Amino acid sequence: MRLTTLLLLAICSWSQTRFESLRIEPGEIVFAGPGASQRFIVTGTTPGGSDEQLDLAPTPVDPSVVAVSGQDVKALRPGSTLLRARAGGASASIRVEVRNAPSAVAINFDPDIISILTTKGCNSSNCHGAIAGKNGFKLSLFGYDPQADHEMIVRQHGGRRISPDQPEQSLLLRKPSFAVPHGGGKVLPPDTHDYETLLAWLRQGAPAASTGPRVARIELHPAELTLTASPAPRRIAVIARLTDGSTRDMTSRVRYESPVESIASVDGSGLLTAAKPGLTTILARAMGKAATAQVAVLAAPAAAGYTQPPSANFIDDFVFAKLRRMNLQPAALSTDEQFLRRAAVDIVGRIPTPEERRAFLAHRDRARLIDEYLGHPDHIAYRTLRLEEWFRNTQLFSQGRPMGTFKYWLRDQVETRRPYDETVRDLITALGDTARNPPANFWFPATDFMLNKFDVRQMTPSITRLFLGIRMECAECHNHPLENFTQDDFYGLAAFLGKMRVKIGHGVYRRTWYIDEKAELEHPATHKPVAPRFPGGEQPAIARPAERQNVLARWITEPGNPYFARHTVNRIWRTYFGTGIVEPFDDMRSTNRPTNPALLDRLAAFLVENRFDLRALDRLILNSRTYQLAATPMAAQPEDLERLLFARWFPRRLPAEVLLDSIAQLTGVPTPFPDHAPGTTAKEFEIGDQPSYFLATFGFPRRTTLGERDESATLAQSLHLMNRATLRDKLENTAGVLSRRLDAGEPDEAIIASLYEHAYSRMPTAEETRLVTAHLADEKTAGRTRRRALENLLLVMINSKEFQLNH
Amino acid sequence: MRLLAPISRRALLRVGSLAAGGLRLPQLLSAAPGRGLACIVIFQSGGNCQLSTWDPKPGAPPEIRGSFQPLPTSVPGLHFTDLVPRTAAIAHKLTVIRSMTSDIAIHDVARRYVMSGTRPRTELNHPSFGAVLSKEFGSRNGLPPFVSIPGREDSAEAGFLGSQYDQFVAGDPREKDFRVKDVALPEGMPFEEAVANRRLLEALDRRFEAAARSPLMPAMDSFSKKAFELVSSTATREAFNIHAEPDALRDRYGRTTVGQGALLARRLVESGVRLVSVYHGGYDTHTGHEPQFRKIIPDFDLAFSGLVDDLEQRGLLHTTLVIAMGEFGRTPKVNPAGGRDHWPGVFSVVMAGAGLPRGAVLGRSDATASLPAERPVKVEDLAATIYAILGVDYHKQYPGPGRPVAIVKDGEPVKELVG
Repeated sequence: MRLTTLLLLAICSWSQTRFESLRIEPGEIVFAGPGASQRFIVTGTTPGGSDEQLDLAPTPVDPSVVAVSGQDVKALRPGSTLLRARAGGASASIRVEVRNAPSAVAINFDPDIISILTTKGCNSSNCHGAIAGKNGFKLSLFGYDPQADHEMIVRQHGGRRISPDQPEQSLLLRKPSFAVPHGGGKVLPPDTHDYETLLAWLRQGAPAASTGPRVARIELHPAELTLTASPAPRRIAVIARLTDGSTRDMTSRVRYESPVESIASVDGSGLLTAAKPGLTTILARAMGKAATAQVAVLAAPAAAGYTQPPSANFIDDFVFAKLRRMNLQPAALSTDEQFLRRAAVDIVGRIPTPEERRAFLAHRDRARLIDEYLGHPDHIAYRTLRLEEWFRNTQLFSQGRPMGTFKYWLRDQVETRRPYDETVRDLITALGDTARNPPANFWFPATDFMLNKFDVRQMTPSITRLFLGIRMECAECHNHPLENFTQDDFYGLAAFLGKMRVKIGHGVYRRTWYIDEKAELEHPATHKPVAPRFPGGEQPAIARPAERQNVLARWITEPGNPYFARHTVNRIWRTYFGTGIVEPFDDMRSTNRPTNPALLDRLAAFLVENRFDLRALDRLILNSRTYQLAATPMAAQPEDLERLLFARWFPRRLPAEVLLDSIAQLTGVPTPFPDHAPGTTAKEFEIGDQPSYFLATFGFPRRTTLGERDESATLAQSLHLMNRATLRDKLENTAGVLSRRLDAGEPDEAIIASLYEHAYSRMPTAEETRLVTAHLADEKTAGRTRRRALENLLLVMINSKEFQLNH
Repeated sequence: MRLLAPISRRALLRVGSLAAGGLRLPQLLSAAPGRGLACIVIFQSGGNCQLSTWDPKPGAPPEIRGSFQPLPTSVPGLHFTDLVPRTAAIAHKLTVIRSMTSDIAIHDVARRYVMSGTRPRTELNHPSFGAVLSKEFGSRNGLPPFVSIPGREDSAEAGFLGSQYDQFVAGDPREKDFRVKDVALPEGMPFEEAVANRRLLEALDRRFEAAARSPLMPAMDSFSKKAFELVSSTATREAFNIHAEPDALRDRYGRTTVGQGALLARRLVESGVRLVSVYHGGYDTHTGHEPQFRKIIPDFDLAFSGLVDDLEQRGLLHTTLVIAMGEFGRTPKVNPAGGRDHWPGVFSVVMAGAGLPRGAVLGRSDATASLPAERPVKVEDLAATIYAILGVDYHKQYPGPGRPVAIVKDGEPVKELVG
C-alpha cells in the first residue's frame, strides 16, 4: 500500500524532471545460479547536482536471463545480459551475469561465526567473554583466540553444545534463540540471517575452516544518500562480493547500525527513514565485514537559483560541489577585517596589532597577509606549541624533566620547514641520550612512572594513533571487536620496538634509549618471541635488530601508506576548522567515514606531491575560500550540516595561550612568567606540569594523553574572566594602554575607537560609539572616575564574545 | 563498646553496633540512587605516615617506630599516636582501614590513582570522584557540585569527561579577607557597578551575535549567566561566607588552611555541594620527618576531629562521608636524614559518617607497617566502596576515547563497610 503511494509520489516528482545522468546500483551483479535475486536502486542526478531515487523498472536486454520484479532483479537461466533504465533524458545500464553453479557460501569459524558471537555480544566482557566465562561456557574476549573458542564449542563438555545429527537441536542455537532458557536472553531469533549462518555452519559439520567461496567484501548502495523533507523512505541495497567473483544479495541479511537514529534509521529490510535534518553514517555488518553510507537529510528540497561561489583552489571545488549536492548554500566571503583577525589568531596565535591591520587594509591582499604571517616568528612559536601537544612534551608525573630540549628541536623543525615525514622518521628512530638527541624525548610517555622502564605496549597504540589515526589500544588484549586488527597485528607492530630499552643517564631526568640485541617481546598467548610484522601479516626482511625502527618509520611515512598523509591533512584541517573531515580526527577506521572523502584524498595527494611540506598545506587551506567564509548562519540550513560540510565559519574559543597573549597585547601589559625573560609569550613559555590557573581553566592541555585540547566553555572560565582581580594588573598598570591614552589626553571617542580597533580589529560603528559614550557618561553619573569607567569598558570588551572567539 | 581488634583474626573489628542515631548503611542503600549523600575528603598531600598517626608500632625497633608514643583512643584497645589526641578521643565515631595497599610511589600519579580508583595510563585521563559525582548527579541549589580547597588539584581533574565536570576552586579560607575565588564581587565592586558592566556586555554581545553563530555560544551564554548569578546571589555567597561562622567554632577547627578548609567544606556540603576536597600539604617528609609532623599534624587533628564533631552535632554526619587519606604511606624505616620516604606498600585511611560502622578497624599491617598482614584493601576497592556508599553505579561505563571505560574497573566494595 505504502509503496504504491510512494511510487505515485515519485512518478509525479520525477516524470517532469530532466536528469543529467542516471545510475543503477549495485554496478555489477553476478548470480551464482538461477533462482537468486538482488535488490537494486536507480538514481537520477539532476542538472543541479542533487540525487533522486527513482521507482522505475529497468528492462533486461535478454528477458530470458533475468526478470525484474518490483525492486529486485531475479536470475532465470545461465547467461549474461544488460539491464537498462531510461528517464528524464538520461540512461544507464549494468551487466548482469547468471552462473550455472549455485553453491553454498563456505562458512568458516573464523571470522564468520566469531563475528556473529561478537556482534551479538556473546563474547563480551560481561558475558561469556568474561575471564571466568558464564555458566561454564567461556569464550575469548571478542574472539581473540578462535582456536580455543572452536575447541570450547565443538569439543568441550563432551561436545554437548552441538548435535551433529540434528543441527537444529544444538544447544548453540537453542540457547540464544531461547528455545531453552538462556541468561543472556533471546539474542538470536530463528528467522534471522545470523541464525541461518550458524545453522548452515553446523550442517557443514561445524568445521574450523572450509574450502569454497567466501565473502570478500560487502557494499552498501548508494554510498551517499541525500534526502529532502519528503516523508518517503528510501531503499538501500547491500551486495556481498565473494572470492569466486559471484555476488549475493545481503540487503535483508545484514545488521544495520545508525549511530544517530534521530537523523536516520534503517529497518531490517533495508528501508531508510529520515527523521530530522543532519548528517550521519549508516553501517551494514555481516560476516565480519562492514560497509558504510553517508546520509544527509536536508530541511528543504532543492530550490532553483543555487549559486555556487567561485573557487580559490581545489579545496573549494570539492567543498562547494558537495554543498551543492546537499543543496546547502555556503556563506558569503568574510570581510577583510574578519579575515585579518581570523588569520592572525590561527597563524600567529594572537589578535592582529593595529599596525598590522592598517598595513593590511592598505593592500587588502589576503594571500600576501597569509605569507607574511606564515613567515612570522609568532607562527613558528604557535606551531611549535601544537607539535609539543601532539608529541606530548610534558614534565610528566612531576618528574621535572627539562621542557626546552624537545621544544627547541620541534621549533627547529617548524622554522626550517622540515618535511613532516622526516620529522616523524626522526622521532620513531630516535635512540640515545635525551639531552643530546632531543627527538629521543618522544619516548618519555611510554616509560613507567619512575621513567625507568620502556613499555612498548603503551607506545605501539600511541604511534599508530598519532601518525596514522589508527586506534589499536583494544588489540593489546583482544582482537578489535569491529575492525580487522588482531592481537597478532598489535604485537607484530610492537616488535619493531621490542628491543628498545631505557637506562638512567647522567642526571636524574636524563634517559638513554638503546637497543638490547638479546631482548625480545613476548606474545602474551604463546609466550614466544614475536617477530616484527606489519598489520595483515607481511614480515619485512630486517638485517640487524637496530634496523627495526627504521623499517617501521619508513613503512609509516611512505607515500603509499594510505593512512599517514590522510591522517596528517585531517589533523591540520581540524586545527583550522575545529572539525575534521573525519571525526573523531584520529580515528580513521574504515567505518568512520569522511564527510568529504574526495577532498580528503586530494589533500593527502597534495601533501605527498609537496613532499610533506606542512606549510604548503597551511597555505593551501588558508587561501581557500572555504577557510575565508563568513560565520553568518544561512537561513533554514541545519547548523550541524553547515558545520560538518564547512558551509561557513564556526566561531571557537581562543585557545588558552592565544587568549592570554591577546589580552597582554591589547592591554599593553605583558604576562610575567617565572624564570623567563620579560616579554615572553604564553606560547613561548616552557610550561611545566603546573600551568597557571588561567591557562588550566581555559583548556591548556596537560599533554599526558593523546588527543586534541578541550575547547568547551565552562563556568570557571566565565567566573575567572569576569573577576576583575584576574586582570587587575592588566587594567591598572601605569604602563598599560589606558594610562598611555589618558596621559596623552585623548578624548573618550578616540580611546573607544582605538580599543575597538585593537580588540576587534575593526572600528566602532557610529551607533556603537554612541552606545559606549553614553555608557561612559552613565558611569560618570554613577560616581565612577573616568579611569575606572574605562577600565570597566576594557574588562567588558575582554569578556565579550567578539573578543573571546575566533570568528 | 568492645574491641575485638588487634587480637581478633577477623578482618573487621566492629565495636558494638552502631551508635544511636546512626543510619545503617543498608537503609541508606535502599534509598533512591544518588541518595543525596555528600563527601568531604581531607587529602593529606604528600603521603601521610601510617606509623606516626593511625598505626603506631610500639613494639618495633626505634628506627621504625620513631619517637611518637601510642595513645589509647576512645575505643578500648585501639591506639593512635600522641600526635592526634583529638581524633583519638572520637575514634568511636570512625572507621580505620590499616591495610590500604598500592604500588605507585610517585606523588602525582598516586594522587590521581587514589582520587579516581583507576590506575593512571598515559593514554587515558580518568575522571576523579568529584567529576564523576558532577556528571552523575549535577548541581544542587545552584552551587558547583564539586569544590577543591584551597587550590586547583591535578588529581581532581575531570579527565576525558571534559572540563564542564571539573573542580571548582575555592581559594584559601584561612586568609583574613577570604572570598571564594572568582565568586564574589571582586575588590569591593558595588553590585550596581557589576550590573552596569553586565548590561554593557550584553549590548556588545547582541551586536556580535547577528553576524556569527556556533553551538559554543549558547553554552558560553548559559555559563556567563550562571556566573553572574553565582556572583550576585546572596545564597551562594553565604555558602562560601566563612566569616558567618562563630569565632568559637572557627577556633575549634583551627585557624589554618586545613581547619578553615574543613569548616568551609561543611558549610558547602550543608548548602548542597556534593564533594569537597580539602588539600592539606606538607606531608612529604624526606628530611626531618618528626619535627615536620609535629608541626602539621596538630592542624590536621584539630580540623578533622572538629569536622566530624560538628557534622554530628548538626545531624549531618549520617549523610556525609568523611575521608582522611593521602596518596601513599611513608617508609617504615627512618632514613639517615631523619626523613621518611614514599611508601605505597601499606597505609591507613580514616573514614566517618554515611552509615559506616563506628569505632571499627579494618585490616592490619605487619609488625613494621610495611605491608598488609590481614585483609589488604586495594585502591580500586576503596574507590568502589566510596562510590557504593555515595550511590554511584561504579560498574557503569562511560564512552571513553575510543572505547567504553568503567568508572571503577578492578575493584569491589569492602563488604564489611557497605553492609
